[in-house]
Amino acid sequence: MATLLQQLISGLVLGGQIALIALGYTMVYGIIQLINFAHGEVFMVSVFGALATYNWFIPESWQQTWPLALLAMLVGAVVVAVVLAVLMERFAYRPLRNAPRLAPLITALGVSVMLKEIVRLSFPGATAAVHVPRAFWDEPITFKVPGGTVVIGSTGLLVIVVAIVGAVLLQVYISRSRMGRAMRATAQDPDTARLMGVDPNRTIVLTFVIGGALAGVAGVLYGVHLNNVDTDAGFLTGIFAFTAAVLGGVGSIKGAVIGGFIIGVIKTVGGQYLPGGTAYDLVWIFVLLILVLVFRPQGLFGEPERVRA
Amino acid sequence: MNIPPGWAWLGQALLIIAGIILVIWLCRLGERRGTAYLADRPAYLRPLALLGGVLALLSALLPWVTFELNDGVYPELSTLQFFDEPWGVTGFRGFILLLGLASIVLAFVPIPAKRRVYRAIGLALFGITLFNTGFIIYYGGGIGAATAADGVVAFGGLVGLVAAAVVWFAHRSGPLEQVPLWNSKVSRAVAYPVLLLAFIALLLVVAMLLRAGTTADGDSRAYAGPIFLSLLFFISGVILALNGLGFTKWLTDVSDKHRLWSVVVLLGCSIALPFTEAGTDYWMTIAVNIGVYAATAIGLNIVVGLAGLLDLGYIAFLGIGAYVAANFSEASAAAFGIKLPFLAAAIVAAVVAGVFGAIVGSPTLRVRGDYLAIVTLAFGEIFRKAAQNDIGGLTGGANAIPDIPPISAFGQSFSAPLEIGGVKLPSGVLYYILVVVLVAVVMLVFANLKDSRIGRAWIAIREDEDAARAMGIKTGQAKILAFLIGATLAGLAGAVFAHKTSTVAYDSFQFIESVTLLAAVILGGMASIPGAVLGSALLIVLPEKLRDFQDLRLFLFGLALVLIMRFRPQGLIPDRHRRAELADEGVVEAPSQEHNVADSTPGGGAAVTR
Amino acid sequence: MTALLEVENLSVAYGAIEAVRDISFAVGEGQIVSLIGSNGAGKTTTLRTISGLLRPLTGAIRFEGKPIESLAAHTILELGVAHCPEGRRLFGRMTVAENLQLGAYVRKDAGVAADMERVYELFPVLGERRNQKAGLFSGGEQQMLAIGRAMMSKPRLLMLDEPSMGLSPIMTQRIFDTIKELQSQGTTILLVEQNALAALALSDRGYVIDLGRTTLEGPGHDLLADERVRAAYLGDA
Repeated sequence: MATLLQQLISGLVLGGQIALIALGYTMVYGIIQLINFAHGEVFMVSVFGALATYNWFIPESWQQTWPLALLAMLVGAVVVAVVLAVLMERFAYRPLRNAPRLAPLITALGVSVMLKEIVRLSFPGATAAVHVPRAFWDEPITFKVPGGTVVIGSTGLLVIVVAIVGAVLLQVYISRSRMGRAMRATAQDPDTARLMGVDPNRTIVLTFVIGGALAGVAGVLYGVHLNNVDTDAGFLTGIFAFTAAVLGGVGSIKGAVIGGFIIGVIKTVGGQYLPGGTAYDLVWIFVLLILVLVFRPQGLFGEPERVRA
Repeated sequence: MNIPPGWAWLGQALLIIAGIILVIWLCRLGERRGTAYLADRPAYLRPLALLGGVLALLSALLPWVTFELNDGVYPELSTLQFFDEPWGVTGFRGFILLLGLASIVLAFVPIPAKRRVYRAIGLALFGITLFNTGFIIYYGGGIGAATAADGVVAFGGLVGLVAAAVVWFAHRSGPLEQVPLWNSKVSRAVAYPVLLLAFIALLLVVAMLLRAGTTADGDSRAYAGPIFLSLLFFISGVILALNGLGFTKWLTDVSDKHRLWSVVVLLGCSIALPFTEAGTDYWMTIAVNIGVYAATAIGLNIVVGLAGLLDLGYIAFLGIGAYVAANFSEASAAAFGIKLPFLAAAIVAAVVAGVFGAIVGSPTLRVRGDYLAIVTLAFGEIFRKAAQNDIGGLTGGANAIPDIPPISAFGQSFSAPLEIGGVKLPSGVLYYILVVVLVAVVMLVFANLKDSRIGRAWIAIREDEDAARAMGIKTGQAKILAFLIGATLAGLAGAVFAHKTSTVAYDSFQFIESVTLLAAVILGGMASIPGAVLGSALLIVLPEKLRDFQDLRLFLFGLALVLIMRFRPQGLIPDRHRRAELADEGVVEAPSQEHNVADSTPGGGAAVTR
Repeated sequence: MTALLEVENLSVAYGAIEAVRDISFAVGEGQIVSLIGSNGAGKTTTLRTISGLLRPLTGAIRFEGKPIESLAAHTILELGVAHCPEGRRLFGRMTVAENLQLGAYVRKDAGVAADMERVYELFPVLGERRNQKAGLFSGGEQQMLAIGRAMMSKPRLLMLDEPSMGLSPIMTQRIFDTIKELQSQGTTILLVEQNALAALALSDRGYVIDLGRTTLEGPGHDLLADERVRAAYLGDA
């Protein structure tokens, strides 16, 4: 019982990180039908952005006080992620909006390779794990359950809370605000949205900005929670996040978050109890993904796919 | 309070970025202004071409670098040496010299499509000068290396850039001409020798490219990258010029009309590669890798290029083929103690891979588009994980299956060097020939399928699945068949791969490999056979040649992907039918290019069809 | 009288296919002007070019004397040209209210809520079901919403593309009554219709477009009486 609960909690923590990144995938795909493969790498770069801010940009006195350090790292990570996302949109994807469908995909893959290389070149030794400071208070929360105790780290709790709060705020923004309406309109029918006076370029840039900011937040949380990072962090997390977005239904915010939590839980709980153990946790995630897509192709919460001309 | 070190660095970085943006912006502005000014002034063509040519000659004869770079070889190609050795201008400066001469001579020769030729010359000059100047600045540690430092001046690079710009502007003196159409109805007496010469030329160019920057014993020498890329730019320029003159079009038409002869000559030329200067152990290994990749890429091309189904886990089929062949090879770690002859093992490998292909393809019955891409990615990762965990004892897990014996036939091991009539051939030459045969077989399958009933069904599905179904095509069957055949071909390639590399390990089949294969298909041009081969060759040769950029090479690889997609999204050698389709698509989009979102505009499409 | 909208020698091409060839017409302030013609005549293409979705090959489009042919779609809307597209093109997954709010996207004044009420008054059925998804409505109701949405930007010129398409005769009549009403409130209207009879009866001026060219023009009633028009578009022998 205690083991199950403990694994469940670890799963939710992992799921929270995945969910924050999945939101970026789902929003970009929703609006321009692009699998932004480089998004996972944006997340990875943002962790290094946070690390660089901590190491190189803040005075020692800030490094000692964790709220200041956390704030600085957050700003650093978000700025890096947003700038990258905007540059990517402007210089890599926008020129290709009318190109054959696969071209932007290859561009996205090229961008991922570049981002990974830039980090590797700027942080010698980053291919192996690099230490990231904790920058949060240390008290884990322990509670007793039948058969033992369950521990949830303070950073873990932070991840779960931020993921849920972030998703709710985003949902409110998308459904209530003027720009949110413009984004939904562009996603549904870009031409008619233009007739309403929506500037598609602005809307799309905003989508990338939001996705980038969330990836930056996820980046800081990842670093603070796990206390290390390497250049491969983006790939697997990115794949998980995309899987979460597809699982939940691309374009759906609720879906991305729930998908993220499902994947997190399967990885930890499944790794514990399903045949094959942790060696096959990835396999179970993908098997579930395939099953969901075969029996419910639009994902758990997605709208049936729009037929595009 | 002392400022943390990051801020100074950030300031510098921003300055450099601002500088680069400023330069790019100035160039674009200049290009636009110049183009607008020259638009109706055809009389400027000749003076500009002459000036550009003279400047190019001058730049070739000027020194390029102010001091010796560390490894000593590059300055040999970049400092002044013309006057002690009049014909000694070699390397990239030799190419600049040739391009400059061409620019001057062509100014006086009446040829059709002159502007297209000058565009090609301008681009080639620009590529060579920009790349080499950039390289010198980067490795020389600053702009001083390519301008003036310690009382030494070296303006070759700058003059070269100006020359490139001037030649480029020569082609702006009016609209581009139509590509001249030559009569391709020529008799055999003309066609056969011309095709023979063309393919021999191709062979020599390939050999030259492979060998560029290596020493006589085939070792890569310092600065191999720049030397190779300069040659690549030069050759691309020549091909672009021939394109502009309509020569390549004519050649492909002629070879289409004499297909059998072309195939025979091409096959002959391919097999002749080991006899050229590229016939070394090293290049044979690379060539075999290219062949394995190309065969797999052509298989993938059936799935992606013909049927339009995106597959992101394709390397798994190569892996399955490789593991099957390894298990029947009597390697000590093999699961079965039986040794099948290579041909039988290859067929089993192909069949098993094909079966898995059908399994992976079965979700296509319900899953479409990008979602399908994710399903295939998932299957690919499941395969890799299963292989990593030594599933059923078939893959050796982390220990891999090592020591797979080489193929042998008639008592000759394929990995040993070969001697025929006193001519020593490099080891691996038999694998090379095997791979040439493999690629030929795969091409044959692809070409036949493409023009068959099922091929047309695939293309119909690619263009509009619902319409295809409405026309009575059994789309489900056709899609699974595409996966099945594609996977079979990959499995075949996998069998060769297993024996050639002698070790099959799970980490050869990572996601990035699937990406590289897909990149090969798309770079070359979807549904295009020569495209897939060229794409595979580039993706394997480029990293080899860029070895001495060590740290930068993967970055440059990513950048190259982005740039090629930006400027040539249809691929390097687009398929002919596909080219027509793409042209149509482009047409519909053109009117609203600036503001158009996502893909086609439904209303716009309707206006065309009404 | 100076025209609110002038289109001069407009040509639009989809690559090699010229959908509109050298069309000229003018819409005077406060008028209803209709472009009529058969399928494929280039009417829709003309409207899409005016509203900035397509770029002209040659020719000029002037709104209040200012050239607008190279402006972005949203800038043209801000100047006061609204386009109610063919096939209505509502945002089916959004509510009525959200559709109307999107219609007022470019407006930054405080009157949006009041204008929404005005649309609900004009079309009570929309008011009753303002929080339902637009995709659930019938064709006629959707057309009302589409017109209401286009009105929300308070345009000087409203372009309507086939507002009667797929509607019953009664519903068609209601839509045309509404158009007349909008005109009386001071909106200039450019109407594209296949239903030539109803459109010309309503119009101050009409232009007949055929195969991408203007073939006939004149006041609505004159055109209605013109034998060639009757023969070609009204089914009279």
